[in-house]
Amino acid sequence: MGQRLIARRQSLKYLGMLAGSVAGREFLAAWLPKSEKAEPIRPTESSYTPLFFEPEEFSAVEALTELIIPTDQSPGAKQAQVARYIDFLVSAASEYNPALQHEWTDGLQLLDRLSREKYQRSFHEISAREKQMLLEEMSLPEQDSGRTHPGYKFYRLLKEMTVEGFYTSQVGLIQVLEYKGLSALSEFPGCTHPEHQS
Amino acid sequence: MGTHAAYDVIVVGSGAAGGIAAYVLTMKGLKVLCLEAGRMLDPSRDFFTHKFPYEWPYRGEGKPGQYGKLPQGMEWKIKEWTDHLYTIPAEDPYALAPGSKFTWTRLRAVGGRTNLWGRGCDRFGPLDFKPKSLQDGWGEDWPISYEDVEPYYDRVEQLIGVSGSSEEVYNTPSGKHLLPAFNPRCGEVLIRKGAVKLGIKVTPKPLAVLSRIYDNRPPCHYCGACNWGCDVGARYSSLDVLVPKLSRQKNFELRTNAPVHTILMDRSTGKARGVTYIDTRNGLEYEAYGKAVVLAASLVESIRILMNSRDREYPSGLANSSGTMGHYLMEHVAFNSIEGFFPQLAGRPTSNDDGPGESCLYIPRYNYGEKDRKYLRGWRFDFYTGCGMGPGPGARFPGFGSAYKKKIKELYPAAVQMGGYGEGLPFYWNYVEIDPGGLRDRFEIPQVRFHTTSEYDHAFAIRDEMYGQMEEILKASGAEIFPYEKESPYPLGSVTHEAGGCRMGNDSRTSVLDEWNRCHDVKNVLVVDAGCFVSHPEKQITHTIMALAYRASHHLAEEFRRGDV
Repeated sequence: MGQRLIARRQSLKYLGMLAGSVAGREFLAAWLPKSEKAEPIRPTESSYTPLFFEPEEFSAVEALTELIIPTDQSPGAKQAQVARYIDFLVSAASEYNPALQHEWTDGLQLLDRLSREKYQRSFHEISAREKQMLLEEMSLPEQDSGRTHPGYKFYRLLKEMTVEGFYTSQVGLIQVLEYKGLSALSEFPGCTHPEHQS
Repeated sequence: MGTHAAYDVIVVGSGAAGGIAAYVLTMKGLKVLCLEAGRMLDPSRDFFTHKFPYEWPYRGEGKPGQYGKLPQGMEWKIKEWTDHLYTIPAEDPYALAPGSKFTWTRLRAVGGRTNLWGRGCDRFGPLDFKPKSLQDGWGEDWPISYEDVEPYYDRVEQLIGVSGSSEEVYNTPSGKHLLPAFNPRCGEVLIRKGAVKLGIKVTPKPLAVLSRIYDNRPPCHYCGACNWGCDVGARYSSLDVLVPKLSRQKNFELRTNAPVHTILMDRSTGKARGVTYIDTRNGLEYEAYGKAVVLAASLVESIRILMNSRDREYPSGLANSSGTMGHYLMEHVAFNSIEGFFPQLAGRPTSNDDGPGESCLYIPRYNYGEKDRKYLRGWRFDFYTGCGMGPGPGARFPGFGSAYKKKIKELYPAAVQMGGYGEGLPFYWNYVEIDPGGLRDRFEIPQVRFHTTSEYDHAFAIRDEMYGQMEEILKASGAEIFPYEKESPYPLGSVTHEAGGCRMGNDSRTSVLDEWNRCHDVKNVLVVDAGCFVSHPEKQITHTIMALAYRASHHLAEEFRRGDV
């Protein structure tokens, strides 16, 4: 044992897999909020030249990551430059894991196709609201294992890499989660709350 | 190359066992050569303990696919913080028989795996040395008892510095002079409260981490990065604690980059006269001569050396007249943790829960005297709670967007996971051998093949009981548990607690070593690593490795004093 609390890539495989069983769905019914409201998406930052993605693809990745972890009361994926991290990682995959590159290019193509089927326009052209609705449809199997969606696999890849990229960034880990560890203390007080002790 | 004995003792390896053996023998005035397969480490250059994920190019996880397909149990150890320390299978291969799995984590460097170990320091209890006669009639007893080892547990604790408590727990003895225990985190306190309701004892975990200044070493500064090394030596490693003491001794010599290939025998006396080793910097083979050879290379390496030293007299491996060498490999029964969160802690402000790296409390074995069950013996539980360096339990929820992000933040301080170790059993059919397919490393040294499975009846039965017990304890503590799948017991070696393969015993027909860790067949060759283990109780094994290495080396020094070697 002795691994740090959450070994990241290992724990990520469990992300959103709760709906896969009866026990999982019951668990979710008790713990999930009833509705979600998203913030509008901000325009793409232009000063970055992507390493792997085409410019249009990259702006899609920016929009998608910001949908997963939006900027609200606290900074989101855009401020943490998660899209750049994904671009960097997918680019670096050429050496040992080229399949990851295909997953992304295929996924983004599929997204375009889904967008054209539904809205008769490419993903790049649809509105922020429409992007959000498309992603919601793709994510449905996560909450209900009876559902399927051709875009679900790509949604999962996007979510895993966004969550990983965001919560390993300085913005996600320090500003948003307010992680206080990895620092030198002279004493470790442990639990000082009387209500936990008895 | 002369034929005279240049050294009294050649110690092979500098980790948990080798460090202690070299220290004891050197301090007894013997002339010691320690051969270490890896390089010297410099904590200021090799440990990156205060580095955040975003300070690494790939957030600490390496280039996608860089480490190859790591076997189960190795994934969380090999990161950008540590990938220059561990050996990865892609670069240093070992073979597996068809259908076999084994996870062999190697750290070839001065200090070995004590550089990055879990630091748990519980002692085996009286029942653990006599499982056959005192527990259930199955397996074998050790040729030694707790009373034989107890003084050496004391000495090891005094040497390395252990924090904990002297609370009385049945069959889990503790030292009487430990440094103060660490303060537990909120979640740990909640589990203690829940377990007490079930009549289960939760106690401070003995840790080889200093809670106070000790032996001129600074105490822990609670950065929590122990799995990546320690930049101040507040946790025990033989690199940080013993090598500085030894390097001041004129009768001690450390040779690095020197993996041992074979043991040299003197045919006229039937005794070992030294070893051959490779200098990895030039690839050439050298000889070193000693009056005794102490193998402490980690058990698989020690077995490899003995088997590669086969000759006409010992065609199946030096000191293997019993035919049991390599057999009875064991490992804890280990499997996936149960994860969840404490609703009581949800939404609280972030706290610094790093503490001394490891958990401060644990649940020692409490099931004794049970009847009519499908498993033998018992288990211990460990648990990890609070704010970690990742998104925590909220990330496992479905959906995305602001509500999802809020859920992550809310549950971040409430994380809990619990896992355990069950007693692993020794079977003849779990073994390691020199690869019959001829696998060799880059120095042309024949390498091993594992013939092992963790999927035996007892392992599944004790696993099922442990899942149930963990659920009960977590529920009694008020935790919500995520639904989980029961996974097969992890492959042998996955938790880096492999043991056995050169077991000790009174009968030279059924064991390799005698009660002083000497080979029955060649009395001046000792194996002092976990290879000597006869059984594998639920306890952490490193303390017992160190205590037995201490005891065997102490005895060897006595033999030298009497002129018996």
